[in-house]
Amino acid sequence: MSMSATKKVLVISGLAGLAMLPHLWPNPYYVHLMVVIGIYAILLLGLDFVVGYVGEVSLGHAALFGVGAYTAGVLNFQLGAPFVLTVPAAIAVSAVFGLILALPALRVNGPYLAMVTLAFGTIVQILINEMTFLTNGPMGITMDKPSFFGHRLNSGEYYYIVMALLVLTIVVVHRILKSYLGRAFEALRDSPVASDCMAVSVYRYKVYAFVISAALAGLAGSLFVYSEEYISPDTYSFHLTIQFLLALIMGGRKTRSGPILGAIIIVMLPNVLADIGLFRQIALGLAAFAVVYSAYGLARKRLSPRQVAIPLAFTVGLSVFSHRISDITDYRLTIFGLLILFVVYYLPDGIMGFLRSLVQQVRPQWVRRHEWILDKGDAEHVWAPPDHAVTVKGNLLEARGLVMQFGGLRALDMVDLHVAKGSVHGLIGPNGSGKSTMMNVLTGIYRPTAGEIEFNGKIISACTPSDIAGEGIARTFQNVQLFGELTAIENVLVGLHHTYRSSLLDLMLHTRRSRREEHEARMRAASLLKFVGLAELANEEAKNLPYGKQRLLEIARALALNPSLLLLDEPAAGLTAPDIKELVGMIQKIRGHGITVILIEHHMDVVMGISDTVSVLDFGQKIAEGKPAEVQSDQKVIEAYLGGGAEQQPA
Amino acid sequence: MDVLSQLLGSGVAVGMIYAVIAFGYQLTFATSRTLNFGQGEALMLGALVGLSLVGHMNYWLMLPIVMLFGAVQGAVVERVAVRPAIKSKSEFGWIMATIALGIIFKNVAENIWGHDQLPFPSPVSQTPFTVLGVHMVPMQVMVIGGALLMMLAVELFNRRSIYGKAFVATASDLDAAGLMGINTNLVITFSYALSSMTAAFAGVLVAPITLAGAEMGAVLGLKAFAVAIIGGLNSGVGVIVGGLILGIAETTTAYYISTGYKDVPGLVLLLLVLAVKPAGLFGKTVIKKV
Repeated sequence: MSMSATKKVLVISGLAGLAMLPHLWPNPYYVHLMVVIGIYAILLLGLDFVVGYVGEVSLGHAALFGVGAYTAGVLNFQLGAPFVLTVPAAIAVSAVFGLILALPALRVNGPYLAMVTLAFGTIVQILINEMTFLTNGPMGITMDKPSFFGHRLNSGEYYYIVMALLVLTIVVVHRILKSYLGRAFEALRDSPVASDCMAVSVYRYKVYAFVISAALAGLAGSLFVYSEEYISPDTYSFHLTIQFLLALIMGGRKTRSGPILGAIIIVMLPNVLADIGLFRQIALGLAAFAVVYSAYGLARKRLSPRQVAIPLAFTVGLSVFSHRISDITDYRLTIFGLLILFVVYYLPDGIMGFLRSLVQQVRPQWVRRHEWILDKGDAEHVWAPPDHAVTVKGNLLEARGLVMQFGGLRALDMVDLHVAKGSVHGLIGPNGSGKSTMMNVLTGIYRPTAGEIEFNGKIISACTPSDIAGEGIARTFQNVQLFGELTAIENVLVGLHHTYRSSLLDLMLHTRRSRREEHEARMRAASLLKFVGLAELANEEAKNLPYGKQRLLEIARALALNPSLLLLDEPAAGLTAPDIKELVGMIQKIRGHGITVILIEHHMDVVMGISDTVSVLDFGQKIAEGKPAEVQSDQKVIEAYLGGGAEQQPA
Repeated sequence: MDVLSQLLGSGVAVGMIYAVIAFGYQLTFATSRTLNFGQGEALMLGALVGLSLVGHMNYWLMLPIVMLFGAVQGAVVERVAVRPAIKSKSEFGWIMATIALGIIFKNVAENIWGHDQLPFPSPVSQTPFTVLGVHMVPMQVMVIGGALLMMLAVELFNRRSIYGKAFVATASDLDAAGLMGINTNLVITFSYALSSMTAAFAGVLVAPITLAGAEMGAVLGLKAFAVAIIGGLNSGVGVIVGGLILGIAETTTAYYISTGYKDVPGLVLLLLVLAVKPAGLFGKTVIKKV
């Protein structure tokens, strides 16, 4: 993980530039603007966790910013607490508020977080206004720049504090996002179901992301109070929240540069929108750019006339509009709204994303979307003992009287399943017989209507999918559920998530423990890929793999969980005959390492060839069970598969 | 006792307004799993357009025109802000785009009608009367009755007419409805039109009580969010009960604690309900098939 030489030069010159800026632009007005940009950038880096990485929308970040500001302000105003106390307190208080919001709001899918945070924003403003005894109400709080050892900082000196904290934030955020936590955030957005089944609880990690984000909003808020030396309730309005979101998406999500660029834009925007002359020039510039870009796109046949019509009309229209009006202040919000619409539809990856795609067209090798992981695996690192040792005697899994009711349909009707430790247990049945429902009930995706499941001596039928996965049940999916945007090896690394013990602090400080864990996991992941024959494709995005390889990748990812029970849902679908032979060998090796397997499969020769026991489902009921040969000759099974009843033989 | 009964009366009236707006959220959420974050602005536009019209015509003639205006406005919101986002499966897209349109509508309204709160003529007499010991203003009764009628009319339409069946089919399974030859895009546009129409109607109803102005929508739209979550985003009874709970909680808080704090119980209830029963008090938990 060493930095390349060019990157080092860039970072050092960037830091030097940051340090020199106040000397190049000593005007206090500009220094203040740069401080505000730095503060907003810290908040936006945090907001990116929620909006960019886990894909939720927060409409409460201005309020969290306000909570941080008021925590620092009130502690300083009421108790005279110093900077070194107020800032950590602001971070902590905002994080707690973030937790209180996220815990209930993220329990359900849908726009709930947006709705709850919107309400929170309003309430915070009301509370700040009303709780006069604490916050001084609408009058606001006046305070001074921080002092250190009796020396009160001036704005120039405060600039360095903010920039140092911004650089620190960038480093910390970058380390978190490049770690196993960042991988979890990306995975849960890509396929929530698969994340849960890899013991990466979607709910828990969304809450983590929101709390980290809230903590950074608190940090930014506390820095803001010291910068402005005055706070009042109406600063932290809904409008500010929307500005933050616009800044983030305009700059570019899922980058470190995007939030900084976004912060520069929204801090400068009011100045642009206050000066009609400047606004006209910018509108004209945008229109000119749109005309040139559309012409280029049309000429190279990259864009269709339909695609360019609306943005072209918009930018030209904006330019004409800017010359028609004499005073801009009345239309500021309309322009702001149009800007949001434009960015949402035409710059969804922001300016940084747009630049990146331009560079990619010219120099594809310059743009790297994933870190190349070049570790070579070997045969001895494929296997690891399960996290929870198998202690039960006899059957590893006992399902008793399972019923799964969907409205009027009984997908499972009083099914018992006994899976012997160390066996391969085949589960067959015609389409719609309840096999996949069974898989989903066993892994906790559906909660059974009745009945119970005991696994390794523990009742798991009321547990969440991620807890069940944590107990040692891994699975593959009938309709492949990979993390498509992640590379093959990253997919397996998500499966190895449970092997990481590093705390947030370890990740921030990049301790030896965190480096060792990452190294071990990569070695393991490479070995697992080698085991399923995908070593050559380690750095390919999962969505680009052919269907058959995707299925094999799912097996590698499932094995990464160190399961004691592996559920394979139609692993041979889409495989060629030689591939199927290899798959059979693979399943035998898996069993050879003590992992019990439940196998759903339509290729009868595969099931009958490797299963120790076969259960047959039909219309949600178990109609037969036994050794493959017994089941094959069972009259009920033949009828279920071929239809019948008409030619019933006399007993 | 006298005070309490009055509080109940006004609580029920304001609660019914929340219920109608929340009902509008349910309509679009059912068909497309999206909501109009500018619903409050649809309400505000309805009230202000109604105010401009009522100077030139009879109050009862103004109502259908406002509702038509609301329907068109809703269709525009769907076409501009929601459909492209549904196509690209972007939750961020429709949330931000409907907010952006809301901001634009509000700014346009400020430029047309100004920043002041304008009085809205009441179609019924202003003298309070007493029913069962509860003091009510006739306008409050009209709000309650109008809101209930509006919801009833939409429900009847959905249950009885063939267009309503298309609506229900799309709500229960978008893809299957599409395969059965239902133009689901049109149904979604239609649900937005219905939703904004109910909001515009609610705006005209509530304006004589609250005054009309560009700012009036934001808070109402927000409260209706709380009601929709408390009652359940898929329960018709839920929004009515949720609206009543919130309306009464607010008026009593305003009287017994402080007007400043009257919006606080809404959020607390919202968080409590989500923590205890995320689908809402009356919502059905839907099992998501994998």
